[in-house]
Amino acid sequence: MSDAQHEHGHHHREPESVLSLRVRALESLLVEKKLVASEAVDRIVGAYEQDIGPHNGAKVVARAWVDPAYKQRLLAHGTEAIEQLGFGGVDLKVVENRPGVHNMVVCTLCSCYPHALIGLPPVWYKSFEYRSRAVREPRVVLREFGVDLPESVEIRIWDSSAELRYLVLPERPAGTEGMSEAQLAEMVTRDAMIGVAVVRPPAPAAR
Amino acid sequence: MLRTTKERTHFRQPGPAPRFVTGDRVLTRSDAPVGHTRLPRYARGKHGVIDTVHGSFIFPDTNAHGQGEQSHPLYSVRFDATDLWGASAEPCAPVHLDLWERYLEPAVAAPGRSPS
Repeated sequence: MSDAQHEHGHHHREPESVLSLRVRALESLLVEKKLVASEAVDRIVGAYEQDIGPHNGAKVVARAWVDPAYKQRLLAHGTEAIEQLGFGGVDLKVVENRPGVHNMVVCTLCSCYPHALIGLPPVWYKSFEYRSRAVREPRVVLREFGVDLPESVEIRIWDSSAELRYLVLPERPAGTEGMSEAQLAEMVTRDAMIGVAVVRPPAPAAR
Repeated sequence: MLRTTKERTHFRQPGPAPRFVTGDRVLTRSDAPVGHTRLPRYARGKHGVIDTVHGSFIFPDTNAHGQGEQSHPLYSVRFDATDLWGASAEPCAPVHLDLWERYLEPAVAAPGRSPS
């Protein structure tokens, strides 16, 4: 059934996946049995959509870019340094990209991820493919993400096998010297903090 | 489940003093345990180097089976790609794993390597 077959103007979504149907069935069952209130579910989903997301990690990265003392603290004591900016609930280790060293995060056993700073993991992060190939052929994987690093650059892979979570501190791109901390934060992407992207210099302003 | 407050994780707990220091060469155990473990198969029976001593953490291998928290030292261990994957490894691509002390034993000097 496509939308074109309908004349009555309401919106039809794509057929739901089996997983999504199962989640909905579970949710309505939990609500029916009064084990969970539907407002509580909405609040959690809302928190992940609005409050918890890569913009938090981006603030941490931007602060480290403009404040060398903060950066030093962040690399030495990640958990304490992010608490200073109001984030927590995680034992954090921050690993720094610099000339000659690129870092990349994976969880080969499951899908451990620094939720508090970058929100929900993308589907590919949880896939068997990324989890197995990131440790086995990281250069090929990075090239597929559009990051082509010369062999002289060491790629350090961090497999989150315990309770610590890893965040990559990307390199600050050239040409951003005059930018404010808030402007810098806007450039930092989720993928750059996982280590499968680099932060690109700003495009020259269109005139 | 949703932790956005300043609380830290409860996984970090007091435990015995660490046996290894940064720079020590270690060999991971090669057992194939039946229950839960955080030593991935690809890193069993492999040589690595202690990169960081993280402190003491609850041991999932026992905690997951109701055998207590048995907190003890956790390390970041660096493995050269060639030690994990052999000759077909990519160059300059070390893998770091967070491993509990019970997964590790001191490495005896391997032929062709100077003990550190």
